[in-house]
Formats: sequence, C-alpha cells, structure tokens
Amino acid sequence: MLASFHTTRYLVGSALTGLWRNRTMTGGAVVTTAIMLITLAGFLAINDTLNQMVTELGRKSNLIAYIRDDARPTHVTALIKDLRSRPGVREVRFVSKDDALAIFESRFVDQRDILDVLQNNPLPASVELHLNDPAVVPGLAQELQAMTSLFDDVVVPLDIVEEIIGISNLARVAGTAIIISLTGVTLFVIVNTIRIAVFARRQEIEIMKLVGATDWFVRGPFVAEGAVIGTSGGGIAAIVLVAIYAQVTPAVTRIVSFLPVSTDAEFVRNLAVFTLLVGLVVGSLGSYFSVRRYLSV
Amino acid sequence: MIVLQSVTKTYGEVRAVEDVTLAISRGEFVFLMGTNGAGKTTLLRLISREEEPDAGVVLVGGVNTTDMSSAAVTRLRRRLGVVFQDTRLLPNATVSENVALPLRVRGKRRAEVECRVSAVLERVNLADKEARFPHELSGGEQRKVAIARAVVAGPDILLCDEPTESLSAERAADIVDLLLDINAEGVTTLVATHDLGTVNRLRRRVICMDDGEVQSDTPIGSVEWPQATN
Repeated sequence: MLASFHTTRYLVGSALTGLWRNRTMTGGAVVTTAIMLITLAGFLAINDTLNQMVTELGRKSNLIAYIRDDARPTHVTALIKDLRSRPGVREVRFVSKDDALAIFESRFVDQRDILDVLQNNPLPASVELHLNDPAVVPGLAQELQAMTSLFDDVVVPLDIVEEIIGISNLARVAGTAIIISLTGVTLFVIVNTIRIAVFARRQEIEIMKLVGATDWFVRGPFVAEGAVIGTSGGGIAAIVLVAIYAQVTPAVTRIVSFLPVSTDAEFVRNLAVFTLLVGLVVGSLGSYFSVRRYLSV
Repeated sequence: MIVLQSVTKTYGEVRAVEDVTLAISRGEFVFLMGTNGAGKTTLLRLISREEEPDAGVVLVGGVNTTDMSSAAVTRLRRRLGVVFQDTRLLPNATVSENVALPLRVRGKRRAEVECRVSAVLERVNLADKEARFPHELSGGEQRKVAIARAVVAGPDILLCDEPTESLSAERAADIVDLLLDINAEGVTTLVATHDLGTVNRLRRRVICMDDGEVQSDTPIGSVEWPQATN
C-alpha cells in the first residue's frame, strides 16, 4: 500500500518531469493536437450548420388537401387527429370555406368583384400539412389522394420535395463522410505525434524494463504525459473555438442572416467539451499503444 | 547460480552462441573473454532475458528463463544488476536519478532511495556529481554511474559488458577494483571483456569464447590469446 503510494507519487512526478525535459517535443505534440482538434471541431460546426439548413429546407415542405363540400365533418375531424400523430408532421391546420374566402379577400383586394358575381362561396375547405421531414410527403400525398370521398384534390410540389430530399440526403452523407474521414485523419495525426514523442524516448523505456520495471510502471508516466498533451491540445482548441464563436459567429449571422449558424451557448460548450475529451482519450490511448511496442524487451 | 545447457542463439544466418554449456556458482567472479563478435554480449543478454535461446536452457537462480511471463521476467531482472556496454544511462536524468531508477521501480520510499543512492555514489566516488547529467561526465565516470545503478538495489548477480572498454589503464583498474569489491560482498559477478591485461592480472576463472562457442574454461589462471588484444 505504502509502496503503491510512493510509486503513484513517483509516476506523477516522473510524468511532469518527462513533459518538462522533453518540452520541445511536448510543445509540438500539444500544438499539433490543438490544430487537428480545431479543424475537426470547425468541420463539426459547419456540418451542424449544413444539417440545420437542410432541416429548415425540409420544414418548408407543405401539402394541401382540398376537402369535398359533401365530405362528412366527423370524418375530416378524425383524419386531422390521425394526421397530427404521424411522424414527420409538424402541424396540421384546418382551413374552413369561410377562412379560405377571408384569405382570398385579403390577398386579392382588387378582385372582390369576382366573388360578388358568384352567389355561393366557391372556395373549398382544406387541410394544410406542414412537415418536418420531406421524405414523408410522397407517401402521405398518395394516401390522401386515395381518399376520394373526402378530398377533391391534393396539391403537392413533388418535384421540389424530391429535390429537397436529394439535397438533404447528399448533405447528410457527404457531411458524415467528411466528419468520419477528418476524425480518422485527426486521430492518425495525434497518435503519430505521440508515437514520435514516445519513439524519441524508447531507450528510456528499454532501460526501465531492464532494471526491473513492470509494464505498468513504464506505461504510467507515458499515459499520464499523453493525457496531459491531449488535454492541453484539446483545451487550446476549446479556447480557440469559444473565441471564434464569440467573435466571428455574430458577424457571419449578420452578413448572411439566412444561415442558421449555431450560436447557442450549449452548442459551443458541447463542442469545447468534445475537443477536451477527444484530446484526453486519444492522448492517453495513443501513449498506451505507442509504449506497448517497446515493452517487449 | 547461472546454468546454461546446450544453449544456441542465432540472428538470421549468424550463429551468435552455439551449443554453450556452463555453470557459474553463487559468489563467483568470472571473466567472459573473447574478441568482438565472439558471443559474449549475446550470452549476457540470454542470462538477463533480453534474448531467448533458440535451443537449450538458461537457468538463473534455479529459474528457467524460457517462456517466462512478463511478471516473471520483471522478478528475474530485479535479482540482476546489469552494466551495459554502452552504459544506457538516461540522458535526461541526473546521476542520482539514474542510480535511483532500480529503487524507484521497486516502489521504495523516497528517504530510503536517497539514502541508498548517496551511499552507492559515495562508494564509486561520484557523490559530488549527483546532480550532473550523463553528458557532463567522462567515460569512466559514466561507467561508474552504470555500476552504481546496477548494484544499488542489492542484486544477487552482476553482469558487466565490457566495463573497462576505451578507458585508460588507471581508470580500468579503478573499475575492476570496484567490481571485485562488490563481488567480495557475495554478488555473483560475470564480466565480459577483451582486456587481456586485466584478466591475467586478476587470475580469476576465465571462460574464453570464439565464434559463439566456449573454447576454454580455466578455473583460475591466465589466458594466452593473441587475437584478444586487438
């Protein structure tokens, strides 16, 4: 117990000494880690913005079903209730014949004479569906079109919807592919930076093993050093990201107001925590596996 | 204490050690003599379990070193002190930190480490250089630090690979006297060397190797080996 306390104290001290005495290598590894994590986090932010844009685009998908004048109100009410519970449906709005007339009058003030000629209100009641997911539109439209006893016509801009679905899928696939590739590159660069730092000290590892050190005694300081390097790199990346968000995002939002750039504190905080955690985990594991190859002395 | 039975070790096509059988008793001081490439270093590496034999058995303190677990290798090495040919001191650690390493890996308390390091540095006359780094020392001083590191934890066996190489006769004698001193305390000592003068002066057991094979094993005596002087 006492020996393990002294050993732990020695390992921590040894890690800090190792970092200081190899400060050039340490500094290089920290900067490389920070740069890679800033790049990765930047792409994550861009990907998030793109996804939000696509989602916004998807939310613009609407579907209008015109109700037959002889349709039973109870059936319409039941259908509206059912539609509201469907996935991908954000809002279902019933527009009565009177509402439709009022809208017409407000939009076409100079053409009220047309209505005066007609004795009855010719405009049909309708159900307007506002959707979250454009992918549900074609199926829903087909379903409503089949209800000939309820609806005269179902209006849906299928070509636009299909285009939105295409853009949405492309953006998600491309974004995911870029993030996966960039994550791979980031991990590769960070791990190799640590491997170089460990390689420079391979003789130290061999000597420790030859004087009777256990594998964990050798690994301990290196894993601690890797954790410090990774966390420092992640910390720098987090600070830079927070600073960029604080300075740049309001300007970008002002200039291109249509871009749904994430500016909320939670998103920035999550991104900062992400860089710190990735730095910590990759730094520790990178050291763990880098040291392993030199332990078989 | 150390037993090798029909031990062979090859590196590719090169047979570094071939069919070597020998036994070294507890407390013995033995010179391992031979030219460069004779197989001395490989033999020491087999004993310290840096290498495993291709054939044969290596027993150290009655323990077979073949197919050992990592933990068993660690236990074995804690019974050994090794002075490497190139000293292998940690370049970024001070003299006292280098010497303290075997005690640190054993989890010794700081006070005990400091006490034993001071004592051993005193013994090798380097007490005033404990804060120096290896590159600030002469070749002879670096060897002494390596010896101090090898003996600080009180090993049963001391393995030295060319401890007097490239040293002046005076410094070489200094090192050998130190090794004899350590051996006098009961530490089994095996010294690989091609320093014929030292070997003949001390008149201890000499095992001569050539081309990976044991050529002679002289219990106490001098050696005539002209090639060994180069």
